[in-house]
Amino acid sequence: MVGIGFRRDFAAALLQGERIKPDFIEFAPENWMNIGGYWKKQLHKAVEQYPVLCHGLSLSIGSPEPLDMDFLRYVKSFLEEYQVQLYSEHLSYSKCDNAHMYDLLPIPFRRDAVQHISGRIGQVQDYLQRPLVMEIVSYYTPVAAEMSELDFIREIVKTSGCQLLLDVNNIYVNAFNHGYDAREFIRQLPLDKVAYIHMAGHEQVAPDLIIDTHGQPIIDPVYELFDWTAQRLHPVPVLLERDYNIPQLEELNGELQRLKNICQQHWHARYETVS
Amino acid sequence: MRAMKLSAETYKIQQDFSHFIRTGRQVKIPGVRPAAMAHYRRLVYNVVKDTLETGFPIAFANLPRKKWERMVYQFFSTHTCTAYQVWKLPLDFYTCAVENSWEEKYDIPYLHDLLSFEWAEMELFNMEDVPPPAYVATGSWLLDQLAFNQEYRLLQLKYPVHRETSRRKILQQQGAYFVLVYRLPDTGDIHFTELSPWLAFVTEQLLAGITLTDILSYAPQLNIAVTPALQEDTIAFLRHLQEKQVLLGFIKA
Repeated sequence: MVGIGFRRDFAAALLQGERIKPDFIEFAPENWMNIGGYWKKQLHKAVEQYPVLCHGLSLSIGSPEPLDMDFLRYVKSFLEEYQVQLYSEHLSYSKCDNAHMYDLLPIPFRRDAVQHISGRIGQVQDYLQRPLVMEIVSYYTPVAAEMSELDFIREIVKTSGCQLLLDVNNIYVNAFNHGYDAREFIRQLPLDKVAYIHMAGHEQVAPDLIIDTHGQPIIDPVYELFDWTAQRLHPVPVLLERDYNIPQLEELNGELQRLKNICQQHWHARYETVS
Repeated sequence: MRAMKLSAETYKIQQDFSHFIRTGRQVKIPGVRPAAMAHYRRLVYNVVKDTLETGFPIAFANLPRKKWERMVYQFFSTHTCTAYQVWKLPLDFYTCAVENSWEEKYDIPYLHDLLSFEWAEMELFNMEDVPPPAYVATGSWLLDQLAFNQEYRLLQLKYPVHRETSRRKILQQQGAYFVLVYRLPDTGDIHFTELSPWLAFVTEQLLAGITLTDILSYAPQLNIAVTPALQEDTIAFLRHLQEKQVLLGFIKA
């Protein structure tokens, strides 16, 4: 099944379900928790109409300080209230010394960070009583690394028992920015742990740097990487992320359709079981 | 208590990185590419700037641009942003302004009023639904407790920032202003209305569950002469609030 991020910019069209037809929607709990008024009504309509997956922004699993248990309480109650089928987050940090920074910062790939983060993932999983699906984030510089990104991720998955969100665009971006082979990187991931896929566009800002903007269409090489990856995975939900420069909805629907075609081509026999 | 599986060294690296993100002041971290680090700073700072410009559109459009930029910089580099929901970031900014007496520092005497007014609109637009008390559609304006829409803020301002944008005009009209900001139940739209001191007092008392009869009988202690005209005007105002869906009906015991 192929979904799209629920954005206020095109919420009305999603609720109408004519110009754009995802199989599910995804939203960040932080953007919708404890809200009321007009947008709560829209959220309720959306949840009645589509299966919902949630992708968090503020858990900050890589922060040095303790987890924010108040925040987690809200997340738990939100996931239960809206019967959210899957909750994913980012393998990054967005706050330090309790100051939020509203973006995904790169965690130092270090052994003590593996232990620290794995412990926190375990804490979250125990509290939420569900597996946490961790996204491999795009990053633009290594930070005091003691180990490779691949080893860092594999260790965390092994130690914490979390699942993976494979953002294929992120892998493409990271491979470009850090000079490795995207296919080889994916091949060495614990692919049986992949529970969710994200697809998005990006922007090249320098000859040697791509930024993961979610503001452009998916480019052909990323579709090709997804096609290659899908052949090595069991069927999982796939999400189109588009946060900025929202195009005509027909264009977005075209991207959804292209993703669906790839899924059907490789997961045909099993596709019905997940749609 | 910090989960101490993280070494002090790694913690310090994360602190240094975060410090650069917040201040833009260069710091050396092993393995980090300065050009890429600058992109992180740019991306984060753009989120903060955009959120504040959207949250405070009147302030952003009308305050001197350099002062605004200095405020945003000071805010993000020194204030611990506690909001995990980015839409609440303007509240952190407003808090920072009050804590650091920005009215004086930036010589904008009406700054806190303006931020308070704009934050009230933002907060009301997003805030959780608050169910009104049980009420019926008809009753006595004078004798019954009245049921209000609970999604409101009653602001007391020193400057008319809700209807003026020019610094000169705002400063010329220093006084006492009462503004009722509220969310319409049907559409979720935010409206506001300016109240006279008397009507602000009445509204406040009615919200506290006092009947209009009791409020009118207390009025002479405020040196207000209760005349038939005052009573009629007050009830006309309540009818107006009812039309605006701020006042919903009558509470029957």
